[in-house]
Amino acid sequence: MTLLQVEHVTKRYRGGVLANDDICLDVAAGEVFGLLGPNGAGKTTLVSQVLGLLLPDEGTIRIGDVDAIADPAAARRMCSFQPQAAAPVDGLSAREAIELIGAIRGGRKATVRTRASELLDALDLADVADRAVPMSGGMARLTGFCMAAVVPGRVVVLDEPTNDVDPLRRRALWQEIRKVADDGAAVLLVTHNVLEAERCVDRLAIIGGGRVLAQGPPASLKAQLGAPLRLDCALDDPTNVPRLPAAITLSSVTGRRLLAHVQHHDVAAAVAWAQSAQDEGTIVEFSLTAASLEDVYARWVEAEASAA
Amino acid sequence: MNSVRSYVLLLRWQYLRYRPLLPLLAGIQVALGVGVIFGFSFLVPHLTSTVVLYFATGAPTLSLILMGLTALPQEVAQNRSTGKFTYVAALPVPRLAPMFADVTFWMLIQLPGAVVTLLLANLRFGLHLNISGLVVPAVILVALTASAVGYAIAVALPPNATSQVSSFVSIALLLFSPINFPLDRLPVWLQDVHRALPVTYMSDIMRGGLTGRYDVSRWLAFAVVAAWCALGLTVSGRAARHRG
Repeated sequence: MTLLQVEHVTKRYRGGVLANDDICLDVAAGEVFGLLGPNGAGKTTLVSQVLGLLLPDEGTIRIGDVDAIADPAAARRMCSFQPQAAAPVDGLSAREAIELIGAIRGGRKATVRTRASELLDALDLADVADRAVPMSGGMARLTGFCMAAVVPGRVVVLDEPTNDVDPLRRRALWQEIRKVADDGAAVLLVTHNVLEAERCVDRLAIIGGGRVLAQGPPASLKAQLGAPLRLDCALDDPTNVPRLPAAITLSSVTGRRLLAHVQHHDVAAAVAWAQSAQDEGTIVEFSLTAASLEDVYARWVEAEASAA
Repeated sequence: MNSVRSYVLLLRWQYLRYRPLLPLLAGIQVALGVGVIFGFSFLVPHLTSTVVLYFATGAPTLSLILMGLTALPQEVAQNRSTGKFTYVAALPVPRLAPMFADVTFWMLIQLPGAVVTLLLANLRFGLHLNISGLVVPAVILVALTASAVGYAIAVALPPNATSQVSSFVSIALLLFSPINFPLDRLPVWLQDVHRALPVTYMSDIMRGGLTGRYDVSRWLAFAVVAAWCALGLTVSGRAARHRG
């Protein structure tokens, strides 16, 4: 069942900046939908419109059966939100902040208390949960997630939830994000963390210049690359890029990093070429791995930047 | 979620946020209350009963107005800079509930200072207090009217401009508004301006509620302040609902 439906949303700011250009996407119950894109791509503008904080110039946004543009108060009741900025927890302990938002979102006291403890335990925050001290960026971010998840809306919007979070807690956080969706919410996840998002999202949209550049499940987007393997080379001299054989398709050269793609049947030829280049000293090291969402992301965003 | 529950929870949030600072904030208000009474003795060497009346009742009035027109907008500007404003705006609460919670919190913080000022004025200068129940709606109306205007300014202006405008308004109020002195001390043209603005009536309903002395009809004064309050809330409500 589709819980969030964004259709042809366009938003232009007063200065003339086109932040969203004919955006269409939908997120179903139980689904984690990733919104990927560089800074300034229009992700936060889209989120603000879903939450009823900004008014689109064109298009429709539905949350369940509700027209979120006509009834922003209903949209806010049906959405819980973790902002890109650290959650405002000054002076509060993590537990106080989480329980307070749970109460504001209409949760029953006992349920909110139990759920807050579960989240604090799951994210390894129990030891610091009851101290009203200034939080580190990562702790504030995790507390912000708990505030969004304690009484989740039918749509849960998470804007860069993993920023500043240490690797172990980040792993637990991804699990909790998955659980929120498994419990029936539609999760709209804005992130730059492309590699980690790949393990969590069911579908995603890549946004650039305010437009949806590509959309679909990670596997089908990766299939669009046309090559299932990635050859990652570290160049000895960035001005001396070696000539690639026909079996290897160049994707990008950024500084000393050369990225290329290879078909399964060309693996032997690609490894032989890379080994030879390494022996000659034009590349320092190389690796051949399965293509990732990062490759998809880089391809679309770089193509958009070139076109612009 | 009903409006009252939202308001109470937002008020609790404000309390938790400032909990470590509460003794300091209340202490400052009490010190200001003491300072007003003893400081005025230096400012005006020959205190008449009228001067005492205006100083003692003007101090809490000015505090409430400045709270609404300076402290509240500056807090809103700070919240806009840190992201708290947007965060609260995304919560399922009535649009003006955060403002009502902030006004209530700061009004309660000012209460000890106002009480000390009036008690000291009574003890030191024999200010005759005749406190009526009308002081309660007077305090609420004055605080809400100033806050509604201050909130609208803070939402409409960029955060870094808010403190400049607030400071300007504070000085204008302190020097050119008939709060700590009678209206007839001002030039005639400024008196006419003040007859259309709410400040004179605000100080009148506060003074009347505390001492029983009104300069104009108490109902006229309440009506003018209530009208300005309704206007301020309409404007700030529109500002809060504006979606850009």
